[in-house]
Amino acid sequence: MLQVVTEPHTGVADAVREAHLTAFRYMLRARLLDDKFGALYRASKIHGGVFLSRGQEALSVATGLALKKTDVFAPLIRDTAGRMAFGEPILDAVRTYLGSSLGPMRGRDGNVHRGNPQQGYLPMISHLGAMVSVVNGMLFARRLKKITGCVGAACLGDGATSTGAFHEALNQAAVEKLPLVLVVANNQYAYSTPTARQFACNELTDKAIGYGATPHSVDGTDLTACLQVLSKAVDQARSGGGPQLVVAELLRLCGHGEHDDASYVDANLKNSPFGRDCLKVAREHLIRHKWTDHTQISVWESEAVHEIEEAVGQVLREPAPDPYSEKWTAISTEHLIEGQEEAGKI
Amino acid sequence: MPQVLITMPQLGESIAEARIVQFLVKAGDNVEADQDLIEVETDKATMTVASPCKGRLGGFSAQLDESYAVGAALGSIEATQEEAARLGLDEVVTQKSEPDSLAKGGQNGRRTQVQPTVRGLPVPANAAGASYLSPRLKARMDELGLHAADLAGVAGSGAAGRVTVEDFEKYIASLEKQKMSGASSMRVAVADAMRRSWTRPLATVGLPVVLDSLLAHRKTCEPKPGPALYALRALALALAENSAPAGRLVGSKIVHPSAIDVGFAVEAEDGVLVPVIRQADKRPLKDLTQRYGELVELARQRKLPPDATGGSVATVTNFGTFGLIWATPIPLPEQTLVLGLGAGRKVPFWDEQKGQFVPVMEANLTLSFDHRVLDGGAAGRLLQRISELMRQPEKL
Amino acid sequence: MATKEITYLDAIREAQAHALRDDPRVFIYGQDVGGFGGAFKATKNLAKEFPGRVIDAPISEDAIVGLAVGAAIEGLRPIIEMQFADFAAVGFNQIVNQAATLFWRTNVPCPITVRLPFGGTSGGGPFHSQTPEAIYAHYPGLIVLTPATVEDAYGMLLEAVALDDPVVFCEHKLLYRHLKAEKLPTEALPIGKARIAREGRDLTIVAYSAMVQDALEAATELAAEGWEIEIVDLRSVKPLDTDTVIASVARTGKLLCVGEAWPWGGVTAEVIARVMSEGFGLLDAPPQRLNSKDTPVPFHPKLWEAHRPTVRSIAAAARKILRH
Repeated sequence: MLQVVTEPHTGVADAVREAHLTAFRYMLRARLLDDKFGALYRASKIHGGVFLSRGQEALSVATGLALKKTDVFAPLIRDTAGRMAFGEPILDAVRTYLGSSLGPMRGRDGNVHRGNPQQGYLPMISHLGAMVSVVNGMLFARRLKKITGCVGAACLGDGATSTGAFHEALNQAAVEKLPLVLVVANNQYAYSTPTARQFACNELTDKAIGYGATPHSVDGTDLTACLQVLSKAVDQARSGGGPQLVVAELLRLCGHGEHDDASYVDANLKNSPFGRDCLKVAREHLIRHKWTDHTQISVWESEAVHEIEEAVGQVLREPAPDPYSEKWTAISTEHLIEGQEEAGKI
Repeated sequence: MPQVLITMPQLGESIAEARIVQFLVKAGDNVEADQDLIEVETDKATMTVASPCKGRLGGFSAQLDESYAVGAALGSIEATQEEAARLGLDEVVTQKSEPDSLAKGGQNGRRTQVQPTVRGLPVPANAAGASYLSPRLKARMDELGLHAADLAGVAGSGAAGRVTVEDFEKYIASLEKQKMSGASSMRVAVADAMRRSWTRPLATVGLPVVLDSLLAHRKTCEPKPGPALYALRALALALAENSAPAGRLVGSKIVHPSAIDVGFAVEAEDGVLVPVIRQADKRPLKDLTQRYGELVELARQRKLPPDATGGSVATVTNFGTFGLIWATPIPLPEQTLVLGLGAGRKVPFWDEQKGQFVPVMEANLTLSFDHRVLDGGAAGRLLQRISELMRQPEKL
Repeated sequence: MATKEITYLDAIREAQAHALRDDPRVFIYGQDVGGFGGAFKATKNLAKEFPGRVIDAPISEDAIVGLAVGAAIEGLRPIIEMQFADFAAVGFNQIVNQAATLFWRTNVPCPITVRLPFGGTSGGGPFHSQTPEAIYAHYPGLIVLTPATVEDAYGMLLEAVALDDPVVFCEHKLLYRHLKAEKLPTEALPIGKARIAREGRDLTIVAYSAMVQDALEAATELAAEGWEIEIVDLRSVKPLDTDTVIASVARTGKLLCVGEAWPWGGVTAEVIARVMSEGFGLLDAPPQRLNSKDTPVPFHPKLWEAHRPTVRSIAAAARKILRH
């Protein structure tokens, strides 16, 4: 929803401030929601994996905010903030993690595999890179339907850039000149694999040239830079510039999953500029510019905590999916369903 | 070149083997499919064995004048790959397949090849012939209420002599063309009982018994007990002395009878009924005569009350009433013993004392028994004791 | 006099033209499908007749399928052509994990049609001959079709495009130019129903795709020996019409299942498993199956002919059961 306008207008400063405040509030809520997921995991209330976004909130929120609600968005594992900014209710996230039958995935998939395809919000499959060509397909279809002015964003990590799926999809987007924005969070590690074992080019942005895409680099710990760069990349795509490859440098500040203690992360990286916590950096930025104060932030925090607790409390009382009333079929055409199980018979 | 086996074909209804009488070709000859190769002889006829395919006769493994079973290998034909493939014929598994090496697990830990245990489409090797029923055949027979015993007269045209569904349907159809009458429910019930009884290994022993003292004793009685009643009492007393022969084998246990209740066979319309004398060992002959007579009448009229049948531990059958001198009766399925009494005849008997043959009235006693429970010796001793008691009728 | 002019390939092309004409949501995407008309000419002239709707793709089977899924989410009905079924393996992930799970995970149907030119031709070799229908049938969420006639190539492709579920459409390359019909059908058996290709009495042969033709020839050979063979053409491998197969076995009591694919876990194994568990009491002989040998498909014609079921080997297998 956010347009960074470049005319010298008295409203510009306001717009920038508002953008930062909006973004920061999403980042705060995202961090607190992630913390809650971590706590629920440690309390054994969540089955399966828990994947948090600590350290990547700035990049993610900037992506979500740069898109219109009518665009296509395929977030990945560490995009809590971006999903919220794009419009996902907290309840959807909590329901998916806790496996509520009322959630968007109805217990059939969990944790970060959630979305709402017909609203342009794609639920990922686990195979990294696989969602990019699906975004391409949606953009391609819109073009065939003569719908103009849309953009599709897909989020990836440094590891995903090694997959064949990424390669094929970026190439395809470039050949078709699709308005695709790839947002690569180079958080230095793919699970335990450092980037030195992931790719050999100097910078990931170098790959853009090979595909015929436009590169953008950004410091992922700096909210201001993220807001600017994402805005620019989305605009360029929207106005016919073809695929954009945004690569953000930052550090993953949590394990690959909550089951992982990340002890392999190089201490030097933790102490380097990209080891900074973007939330802390943003908070200091806001305070320094006097766009808000600690009191106000505390209020936002407790509001967010309250909202999250309410949601969790509600969902914990919701029903789990009932295997006896599940429709155990994977195709939609009724007369072609084989050996249909009667309800109540497993 | 694949070797195709020449096997003994189906020889006809219930014929299991044939004797080689002549070889019509020799090793090395080229033969056509279906050409006659061997002449064989059965009890009923002389027949020929035809070649399964075109090829060169590899040789005969069968010997002249020896008999071989249906399905046995008699020789082999060297056929072209094409010819064998055309017929989907199996290759000969090496004649000397080595089951031992399978058991030993191979030498020095080397893995031996797995030998196939069946050739062609599987017919269980130990169930060839009419005893192999395909699922469809079983289903069809269940539908018609038939048992394997009902197939005894059907020649199977399928692999290993099995009865195919086609054979079966042809058989049923052919029956329709013959005169048929309904079997009474009595007949069906007796058939079922005899079929079930026959699932055990049954044997019979026999002994002639001189009836003169029995007949003399009978003259003094009023009413007159039938000879079968004498046999019944003798059996009951003998079992009271040693009840093991009337025991039932269940698994590895012998269940002894709790009371010596003895039944006796009465011919009723289209079948046999078996009324029972309860505790026959405890009641003397004269007390039983009337009851015996009543039961015979009731049985003939098919009016036996339920407490008068069932629960007996042995049965007596007087086949002598039909004039028969010898019979091998079949025990009831739930019993181990049946004692049979044949017709009395005047026969010469060597009297050692008098040094000459003297005329006596003699009848054969036969005892059929479940050979799993007792052997000839025990059966013989029981029969001897019964014979002894029957020659001392005052003890009965 | 009516001559047989329409080939199996023509039928496929006609069906696509028909779909493009009648439904503006349909488009075709794949390698060389545009101006070139496709490696087998299955889309000849369609790019010209329907400008902008028959589009060339780069050699990227994964992205080709992924793009189709995205387009389907947007409400279009893509037909994608894999150049050979053997190459669909590169797009396997998108077919079985993206397309096949979409409806189950999100309740949003995925109406894509993936056309696979499949099956062996002489000289094709290991990577231009495969028949992977069983692997796709194994994954829940896919419809897998194997038309054996010109009429079915037409009718089933039309129906496939109209279905809301992802369809793997296996077109046999050997049949492309060899199978001919007089005209295209105006109505057809629906997807999900098998067809009795030949009525018989002594043995049921269940087959699909090109093997149906071979089975028919074997039946003619066996008829001369006095056997009447009934042949069931499955038409769709998933869903598999168990009822028709079992009804046939009820008539004949004997079953031979023939498939060009490899034996382990193939369609033939599936048919026999079903007949055994649902029709055990109907069998007068153990059910048998005939498949290709368990090796990759060889290149040399002599090896290739020995590798796959043929009229001769089908007849021989049939005789074995008939004589049981």
